[in-house]
Amino acid sequence: MALRSALFVALALQLLFLMHATADILISKADRKVDLSGNNVRVITNLKVENGGSEPIGEVLHALPLQLVRNLAFIGASAFEGKGKNRGAPINLPVKLTKSEAAVEGVILFSISLNKPLKGGETTTVDVYSVFTHVLKPFPAEITQSDVQLVLYYDSAYIFSAYPVKLQTTIFKLPNNPRVESYTKVNPVKQADTDLKYGPYENIRAFSSLPISIHYENNQPFVVVEELVREIEISNWGNIYVTENYRLTHGGAKHKGGFSRLDFQARPGASGRASIRGLLARLPPRAHSVYYRDEIGNVSTSHLRNDKDKTDLQFEPRYPLLGGWRVTFTIGYGLPLQDFVFHTGDGKRFLKFPFGCPLQDVLVENLIVKVVLPEGSKEPSFQVPFPVNKSDEVKYSYLDTVGRTVIVLTKKNAVQEHNVFFEVYFKFNTIAMLVEPLMLVIGFLLFFIACIAYARFDFSISKTSAAYQARVQREELMDAVQKIQNIFSFRRVNVSDKLEASLKDLARTGDIQSCKAARKAADAALKESAKELQAKFQSVQSFPRSFNIIPKLEALIAKEKEKQEKLLQKHAVVVESYERKLSSKEIDNRIAPHQQKISALKQEVDDMLESLDDF
Amino acid sequence: MADLATPIFSPVSESLYPFLSISLLTVGLLIAAYFFIYEVTTSKLSKSLLHELLTSSVASFFLGFGSLFLLLWTGVYV
Repeated sequence: MALRSALFVALALQLLFLMHATADILISKADRKVDLSGNNVRVITNLKVENGGSEPIGEVLHALPLQLVRNLAFIGASAFEGKGKNRGAPINLPVKLTKSEAAVEGVILFSISLNKPLKGGETTTVDVYSVFTHVLKPFPAEITQSDVQLVLYYDSAYIFSAYPVKLQTTIFKLPNNPRVESYTKVNPVKQADTDLKYGPYENIRAFSSLPISIHYENNQPFVVVEELVREIEISNWGNIYVTENYRLTHGGAKHKGGFSRLDFQARPGASGRASIRGLLARLPPRAHSVYYRDEIGNVSTSHLRNDKDKTDLQFEPRYPLLGGWRVTFTIGYGLPLQDFVFHTGDGKRFLKFPFGCPLQDVLVENLIVKVVLPEGSKEPSFQVPFPVNKSDEVKYSYLDTVGRTVIVLTKKNAVQEHNVFFEVYFKFNTIAMLVEPLMLVIGFLLFFIACIAYARFDFSISKTSAAYQARVQREELMDAVQKIQNIFSFRRVNVSDKLEASLKDLARTGDIQSCKAARKAADAALKESAKELQAKFQSVQSFPRSFNIIPKLEALIAKEKEKQEKLLQKHAVVVESYERKLSSKEIDNRIAPHQQKISALKQEVDDMLESLDDF
Repeated sequence: MADLATPIFSPVSESLYPFLSISLLTVGLLIAAYFFIYEVTTSKLSKSLLHELLTSSVASFFLGFGSLFLLLWTGVYV
């Protein structure tokens, strides 16, 4: 510790030249609030900056010791417009790491740009907000199940500043009902309830520091996500799938000795006080199809509550996590497309989605966000409000051909403050959505084509065997018979139907001429089909195995011919009766016997046609 | 940018997925059934390739789109 302070004193001397450059600025009042109640330390430093020179200044420097920079997860600054009661909303000020002053050993400087230059003699207020991880060291480093978790925190009683500070105080906020083992006394210092107040200290030089340590009880479970892979898959058919793979650990004091489930269950207040019993994931509103599982399968200890602003997933790990224990699990959910994907004005589309981990107040050591764009997306680009590493991947999912473009964004040490919206822009042509259904269509078509081909192939091995020959002949014969059947049951039946229809027309309109024309056409059609029938019949006769079908066919042809003739006769009778202008009753009497005969013949022909099938 | 942003919806309303999948699949299966009846009842020598291709392509169109909406309805967003 002494070494450290000595180093700072040496540094302060080294930096004298630097102070000349910035000597005009001084901090008239500084208030620092350090929240030690969680597992990450959040610091808000409220600085009243005074420009003692005459030149206007545009930026203020914020100093951090180098060894703390490694633990710095987030830094931001804000200022208020106006003063007192007319104070407006805070405005975020850009903060960036300065390169030139970074040459000074052991100190890192951040430059905060003011929203308007500070003139000579004026004062302004700047809030610097920073989050540090891994700065609370469990001490003792190993505890048993019944022990409480004590942590040790090192800091400086003075605010580490690049400028001299006139008046300063620091308040360390401890957890509720604090039990403080020890803290460094630097007068004035006092503890009141959860606050440990150092200061006020007056006229402290730039870059001075006074190491202090606080050793206190912090039973907050140290939830640390070692690795979180979030996969956000966009489907243009109306959904976004989110899959989150967690590797979670308890980063607090390591557990030693045995674990008694009985003690743990029976005395939750006295046993495993710093263990992780449950977690809360705050998902976006309208999340659906939520699941929580691990390698074994579904984990049933979860509850889902939703309202119009959020969806809360309250869940427990498969087993309670004591210090140093690990668990891996997966959370997945679907979200409506229209909530997160939008058109830009210039024909592009963009996804606007929360970047960070939905678990409340955890540290994610390695956060990997993968955005899977729809297949056929072009020109992907992204916009994240803090630096991330980017790489590309290709993922094959449902009905993909060329694969989907994946943008992989990696961020180390992500905290709650990184859970902000980021954007991924891409181009997509709506026509490309048809690729997926067309692939399904082609799939079915290939199946049908395979069926067509199968029906045409000949799978017999021996093409010369007698049985094979017989089968081929039989098939040919069946085909010929089928053709004859078709002539009967389509073409010739069609002719009869037309004749009957012409008779009906005649009864309705009395147009004898058209009826005669229909008769003529029927004659021609019958003649033609009869010729064809004869040809087909002869071909059947030529088949070697046709002997038992020929008599049937002959009978059928004769019967059918008779039926057609009867029909023609009836037709002739009706036409003649009309020409003689007989009454309808008389016509009915005259055709009644024909009608009977025709129906009987029709029945017989149908029976015979059917019996051809089973020869 | 934010003012110009308009949300993107699915081209087919999600409430139509059940109806579309059932109706398209029914029509598709009926045509497929007709195709198979034709395949097994028509003798090898008198099959018409054009007839087969026409029925099968119409059937696969209906079955393809029907199964797409079935996938979407059951939550497999392709």
